[in-house]
Amino acid sequence: MKIDCAFVERVLCAFIREELGKAGFRRGVLGLSGGLDSAVSAALSAKALGPKNILGLILPYGRSYAADVEDARDVARRLKIRSRVLDIAPMVDAYFRAVPTKARTLRGNKMARERMSILYDFSAREKALIIGTSNKTELLIGYGTIHGDMACALNPLGDLYKTQVRQLAAHLRLPSKILSKKPTAGLWPGQTDEGEIGLSYDELDRILYRLVDLRHSKAEVVSAGFARAKVERIVAQIRKSQFKRCLPPIAKISSRTIGHDFLYPYDWGR
Amino acid sequence: MLIALAQISPVLGEVNKNLRLHVALIEKALKKGAKVIVFPELSLTGYKLRDLAVETALVPGNNGPFRELLRLSRRIAIVVGFVEAADSGLFHNAAAFLAGGRILHIHRKVFLPTFGMFEEARFFAPGRDFKTFDSPLGRTGLMICRDFLHLSSGYLLQTGGAETIVVLSAAPGRGGTEKASASFATSRMWEMMGETLSFFTSAFVVYCNRSGFEDGMAFAGGSFVYNPLGRLAAKAAYAKNDFLLAGIDRREVLRARRLWPWTRDDKPEVALRVLQRAFDRHED
Repeated sequence: MKIDCAFVERVLCAFIREELGKAGFRRGVLGLSGGLDSAVSAALSAKALGPKNILGLILPYGRSYAADVEDARDVARRLKIRSRVLDIAPMVDAYFRAVPTKARTLRGNKMARERMSILYDFSAREKALIIGTSNKTELLIGYGTIHGDMACALNPLGDLYKTQVRQLAAHLRLPSKILSKKPTAGLWPGQTDEGEIGLSYDELDRILYRLVDLRHSKAEVVSAGFARAKVERIVAQIRKSQFKRCLPPIAKISSRTIGHDFLYPYDWGR
Repeated sequence: MLIALAQISPVLGEVNKNLRLHVALIEKALKKGAKVIVFPELSLTGYKLRDLAVETALVPGNNGPFRELLRLSRRIAIVVGFVEAADSGLFHNAAAFLAGGRILHIHRKVFLPTFGMFEEARFFAPGRDFKTFDSPLGRTGLMICRDFLHLSSGYLLQTGGAETIVVLSAAPGRGGTEKASASFATSRMWEMMGETLSFFTSAFVVYCNRSGFEDGMAFAGGSFVYNPLGRLAAKAAYAKNDFLLAGIDRREVLRARRLWPWTRDDKPEVALRVLQRAFDRHED
């Protein structure tokens, strides 16, 4: 699972530059959480497009994430990208005053979609495209909010496991504080990914790599020394979250239907 | 003789824009004194066409983009990739060798990868032949991308007396390399075949791959020329645009064939007999 970081960096920077350029853009906008993935995505984008062409939006809910805001600001300063802090509490609170809930996931998903809504607004204001920050691990197990943090115009990190993103972060010389930080979706204070998923990223990635990249069967992964219960849970999570990785199905009526047999590439004419 | 390899990134589905790119690089090759220029697979259209395959298809002849390319081919031989609209009503992933104002040969891709990320047989009809022809590169054979990875293609061009094998490719890179090789793992696969085929056919192998991105796929670049002794003669950058020049001298083929008589000692009649037997007994 070790990657050739210098080569991966070159390919991903070219991907960002060329995909944006082909679509007629030269600026990027992304959400900066103060965590590892968005820091790596921002660093690659800054190298690809020039720091002045990147806007990092720091979108905390109230004051409960002050340390993360400081880390995000620090990343923006080091990368010399532009940044802006906007508190999403007024918008989110206004909504939940109308339809109150204490369910943490509902509240967290609403916050993720509030951030998405702001990112899209700024992408239009800035004539910029949204650069994604979801990694392969979370995309595969569905650990993300559909139309929330998963929403973007292009995603440079989507084929890198979390542990590979960490390798790249070290290669890009991101601050050790960011590297050693406990990954969190930030849906509620004190949440950690590994606590919620119930597995370390290290073990999760090694299992996913065998199942997905090497196409090993569940039985093969178990016989390689991983607990059957863990492997089965991961397989179930992959299957359960398939809807987050696809466009919704369109009921086929006619002889030529979008998604079925109206088949054009994403980069049509680019 | 100098040959140019244009490792380019065409615009997907825009034949006229790509024609302009071709013309610019043909002018560049002429300035450098090249006598032949090779473009990648589907260089006039881009690779991941899907339904655009039909919409970008060309009828080879003195019309459309071919008119301009044929005119330029009076000054430099041009090997170009395109979608062929055949008389039969079928569409082929094709390559044309143009020289002296004429189409010397058209090759239709025989092996259409249709698995995993590839879906060519969904949109193209396969070709069914590997023919050699005389060109400024001596006796010449064409292949398109996946054709090159089948041992039979190289063998059939060898039996046709090929002195130069030209491969047009649009190979996406994939797979990591733990060592810092600055390339995708799959690039090695093409180089292995280039080295092997050039040595055991005593022919030049000219492999022109493309660069750029389509729908997130990165094309791996790394175009190369191997000489008839299996040695690397020229090599382009991985995964970025490049323009490669290499010298090709037919005397090297003759020298290699004196040193290593693989071609002289080959027995196609044995191959034919064994293949016939395998074919007669073949069941899926």
